[in-house]
Amino acid sequence: MPSSQNSIKLISGNSHPKLAEQVSKKLGIELAKVGAFQYTNKETAVAVGESVRDEDVYILQTGCGETSINDFLMELLITINTCKIASARRITAVIPNFPYARQDKKDKSRAPITAKLIANLLQTAGCNHVITMDLHASQIQGFFRVPVDNLYAEPSVLRYIKENYSLNDLIIVSPDAGGAKRVASIADKFDVNFALIHKERQKANEVSRMVLVGDVADKVCLLIDDMADTCGTLCKAADVLLDNGAKKVVAIITHGIFSSNAIEKLNNSKLDKIVCTNSMPLEDKLARCPRLETIDISATLAEAIRRLHNGESVSYLFNNAPE
Amino acid sequence: MRDLIVLGGSSHPALTKMICKNLTIEQGQVLSKKFSNGETSIEVKGSVREKDVFIIQSGCGNVNDNFIELLIMIAACKTASARRVTAVLPLFPYSRQPDIPHMASVTGAPSISTKKDQYTYESRPGTPKPLSSFNGPRDPSLTRPDSSGLITPLLRGRDLKDPFREITPRDSLVPVGTPVDARGKTESGYKQWIAQNGTLIANLLTTAGADRMITMDLHDPQFQGFFNIPVDNLYLKPLLKHYLIDYVPNYQECVIVSPDSGGAKRATSLADALGCSFALIHKERRIKTTEGVKAIGPLGVTSGLSAVNHHPSPGTHTTVSMLVGDVKDRTCVLIDDLVDTSYTITRAAKLLKDQGAKYVYALVTHGVFSGDAINRVSKSAIDKVITTNSVPQNDNLAGLGDKLEVLDVSRVFAESIRRIHNGESVSMLFDHGW
Repeated sequence: MPSSQNSIKLISGNSHPKLAEQVSKKLGIELAKVGAFQYTNKETAVAVGESVRDEDVYILQTGCGETSINDFLMELLITINTCKIASARRITAVIPNFPYARQDKKDKSRAPITAKLIANLLQTAGCNHVITMDLHASQIQGFFRVPVDNLYAEPSVLRYIKENYSLNDLIIVSPDAGGAKRVASIADKFDVNFALIHKERQKANEVSRMVLVGDVADKVCLLIDDMADTCGTLCKAADVLLDNGAKKVVAIITHGIFSSNAIEKLNNSKLDKIVCTNSMPLEDKLARCPRLETIDISATLAEAIRRLHNGESVSYLFNNAPE
Repeated sequence: MRDLIVLGGSSHPALTKMICKNLTIEQGQVLSKKFSNGETSIEVKGSVREKDVFIIQSGCGNVNDNFIELLIMIAACKTASARRVTAVLPLFPYSRQPDIPHMASVTGAPSISTKKDQYTYESRPGTPKPLSSFNGPRDPSLTRPDSSGLITPLLRGRDLKDPFREITPRDSLVPVGTPVDARGKTESGYKQWIAQNGTLIANLLTTAGADRMITMDLHDPQFQGFFNIPVDNLYLKPLLKHYLIDYVPNYQECVIVSPDSGGAKRATSLADALGCSFALIHKERRIKTTEGVKAIGPLGVTSGLSAVNHHPSPGTHTTVSMLVGDVKDRTCVLIDDLVDTSYTITRAAKLLKDQGAKYVYALVTHGVFSGDAINRVSKSAIDKVITTNSVPQNDNLAGLGDKLEVLDVSRVFAESIRRIHNGESVSMLFDHGW
C-alpha cells in the first residue's frame, strides 16, 4: 500500500447527475472533472479534465432510460476503463439500480444470463469494487470476482414508515412470493403482521391471477417491493387488497423504473400513494404523477463511499440510515 | 454446410440476408427485442449446440445498443454450448476515435440540429477546437453557442423546461472541467484528454465469449494486436481496384489521393496496384499562426495551401491543409477507410478542385455519414462517392442519389465465413477479392 493518502474522486455518469450532485454534497467534495459525451456517430467518449492518478475513484451510474440504458452501460464501462488507463488506484462502480438484474438465470433454452455478462464486462473494464442497492437477486453478487456491497434501502424505508404512518392499523404486504423475506423482515422490526399475494404469471411483465394470503381487513396496507417496472402487479395487488377490505394501499418501492405507460396506470390505480427511492431519475415522472413521492438515499450511498474509502465496515448501513 | 449457423443482429439485417444467400444457407433465428425498461432481450431459437456460429453485427446506427446486443448474443450462444462463436463486424465500432472531439454545436461542427442548407464545402469550419466548450458544472451561465449563432442553455442531464421530451444522451452532456485554453489545458495546467477505447472493446468481445473476429479495413492495423483471439481483417482494396478499372475512364491517368497523412499507406498501395500516380494531403493544426497564409510547410513540395482560421476570437487555432503532388487537370481518387462527419474528405475535395482537379472520386470503405454529413457531401466538390454496404446505405442513397455508389461486400464476407468454417486459408481474399 502506498503511504501517501489518496482522496475520493466522484465521477458522475450521464444517467443520474442529480443523485451524483447530492452524494458529492453529502461527502463535501466537488464532482471530478471527468465526463462522457457522444460523437455524432453515436459512439461514446470520455474526456478527462483532471488527474485521477493514484486516487480512489467512484463512478456513479444507474441503470435507467428506456432508450439509452445500453448507452449508459457503455458509458460506465468506458469511464471505468478510462480511469484504469489514467492509473487510478481503485475504481468503484456505484450502480444503485443494477441493469439487467432480472436476466439472472437461464429460464428457457438458449436464453442468456445477461446479469452475469454485465458482471464480467464490468470486471473486464477494470472495476475493482461494486456498490449497488437492493439487487433483484442477491445471488448476483456471486457473479462477480470482485467485492460487491449490496446496500439496502430498508433502513431509509423504515424511517419513512415510522415518520408517516401509525403502527396500529398497519400491515406489510408483499406483492409476490419472492419478496416474502424482505417484507417479513420489515414486519418483524415493527412487530406488525404481514400478508402475501401469490400471483400466477404466464408471461414476463404480465400478471394473470392473484391470491391473497393473510387478513387485511380495515388495515393500511404497505405494499413493499424492490422494483416497479410496468406497475401491472402493483395496480392489481392494490385492487385485490381493497377488495379484501383494506382501508388504503400504499406502495413502497426501491427502484422506480416506471417504464412505458406505468405512470398512466398509477394515475388510474387505486393506490393511495407510491413511494420510491431516488435511485433512478424521476423528475419528469414526479411532475406527471402527483401521488408519487421519493425517499432520498444519497446519504446512504455517500456514507458507503466514505466508509469504503476509509476502510471502515459498511454493515452499519444495513441497519441504519444516515441522515 | 454442416454445423454452420449464421445469426444476424438488428444493425444490418439486409447484409446478413445477403451473406446467407451467398452461402446458400438459412439464416439462424434469433428473437431480439427490448423489454419495456429498455433492456435488450435475446433468445436464440434454434439449437446451436456444438455448432460453428457466426454473428453479424455492424457498428452503425445506435452503436452502443447494437454492440451490447452483440455481446449478449455471443454470451447466449456460448451458454447454449456453441462450439465456436465468431463475431463478424463489417464496421468495427470504436475503431477510430478522433482525439479532438467533434463537439456538437460548439464550433458549428457536426451538429444534427444545424439547418441543412447552411453547409457548403466552401468554408464551414472543419476541425473544432479541443474541448474548450466545456463549462464548469455549476457555472450558472451554462450556455453554449449553437451553430446557428444562438445561445442555448445547456442543462445537465435533462431538459427541465421540457421534461417530456425524449432524452438522448447527446443532450445530457456532462460539462467537463473549467474552460480550457487553446492548448486544451485547464486552469490547473492539466491537459484534457479523451480516452481511446479500442482495447476495451476488444476485451469486452473476448469476455462475452467470442472465439474469433472478422472485420474489414480496420482503421489501425495495430488494432488486431489488441485482441487475444484471431482477427481476420479483410480488405476492400481488390474490389476498389476492380471498380476503378471497370468504371473510371483512363484509370491509369488518375491520381490516387490520401486525404490525410495517416492514410498514405492505403493510398500508395492502391496506386501501386493500378500503376497510378499518388498525391497526399497533409493537415496541420497550429496554435497561433501569423495572419493569413505565410510560408508554412516544406518549401518546394508545397503545391497547394489553404488555411482556414476556424476560431477568430479565443486563441488563434489554425488548420493548414497542404497538397503534396500534382493534380492539375487530372481525375482524382480520394481514398479513406471511413467517412463519418465527412469533414476531412470534403475539405480535401475542395483543396483538390482549387488546385485544378478535373473530377473527384471518393472511395471509402465505411460510409457512416453521421450528423449532417450527407448534406455536406452533396454540396461538396466531390463528384462521386463510392462506398460499401458494410453499414446500411439506404438512407444515404436517398440523400445522395446518383452521387453515391454502393459496392457489395456480402460476397467477401460470405466467402471468408465459408473458408473459416472449412479451415481454408483466407489470405487469398486479400489479393483477389470476390
